[in-house]
Amino acid sequence: MKVEYVNPFVNSVKDLFSTMLKCDVKRGDLSLKREPGRPNEMLALIGLSGGDVQVRGTVALSLPVQTAVAMSNRLLGTQATEASEAVADSVAEMLNIMAGGAKAKLPHADRNPIQLSLPTVLRDHGSGFSVQHPRDTAWLEIPFTSDLGPFSLRVTLEFNCAQK
Amino acid sequence: MKALVVDDSAVMRKIVIAALSQAGVTEVGEAANGQEGVNAALQGGYSVITLDWNMPTMSGIDALRAIRAGGVRTPVIMVTTEAEKDRVIEALKAGASNYVVKPFKPEVIAAKVRDALAKATP
Repeated sequence: MKVEYVNPFVNSVKDLFSTMLKCDVKRGDLSLKREPGRPNEMLALIGLSGGDVQVRGTVALSLPVQTAVAMSNRLLGTQATEASEAVADSVAEMLNIMAGGAKAKLPHADRNPIQLSLPTVLRDHGSGFSVQHPRDTAWLEIPFTSDLGPFSLRVTLEFNCAQK
Repeated sequence: MKALVVDDSAVMRKIVIAALSQAGVTEVGEAANGQEGVNAALQGGYSVITLDWNMPTMSGIDALRAIRAGGVRTPVIMVTTEAEKDRVIEALKAGASNYVVKPFKPEVIAAKVRDALAKATP
């Protein structure tokens, strides 16, 4: 994926952290992965489609439960100690903001805005789950560290997809 | 002063409500999708409405059009991740009074509410 498509996601995460989470965040080294999330982590997914660049793809936010709880507490001013509906809602909204901020900065975004789906959050209630994407899907992982804990964005995007 | 906050995220509604208190809002109604937002707005009694864009059942832009078609002139401030210039223009043409892009600092919401109310006062 070109750097002009990566930087919007990095900058969008930094915007969220500086305005609403009020703490520092640092990007780690990029890598390619086969899965949207890391084992035993909370996972949120949001779809992107359309626009002048005819994009189609998914953005995933993968984070340890402790990071999700810490971020939710920072957003809401609460002191929760475990995952809850409010924490899941916080994760969904943070991914919505990260993806929304990024899509507006992708090339040619202003001419014909890219559509965002509604975010989905997957929580493991003990019985486990697996997420399967089409074979050969490659996810670009953008890992981050922050004062609230580590997390990663994984992005799989195709451009210039013909409208069907 | 009473505000209506329309957003499908309960977390975002809490954040917006906290920001509105900085603008002197003392009472708040909430709606979790565009249709609920339209129903509440048409009942009246609100000094200002904040409206998300991407919601289930009815989007914020469709809700805005329905609110204006219903004759409601209450100031409406879009509070959304939709940041593209075309989106802002579309919302203003549909009757939005102002526009806030997420993520935002609480004081931005408060300032835009005060500005919208000042312009709305006859």
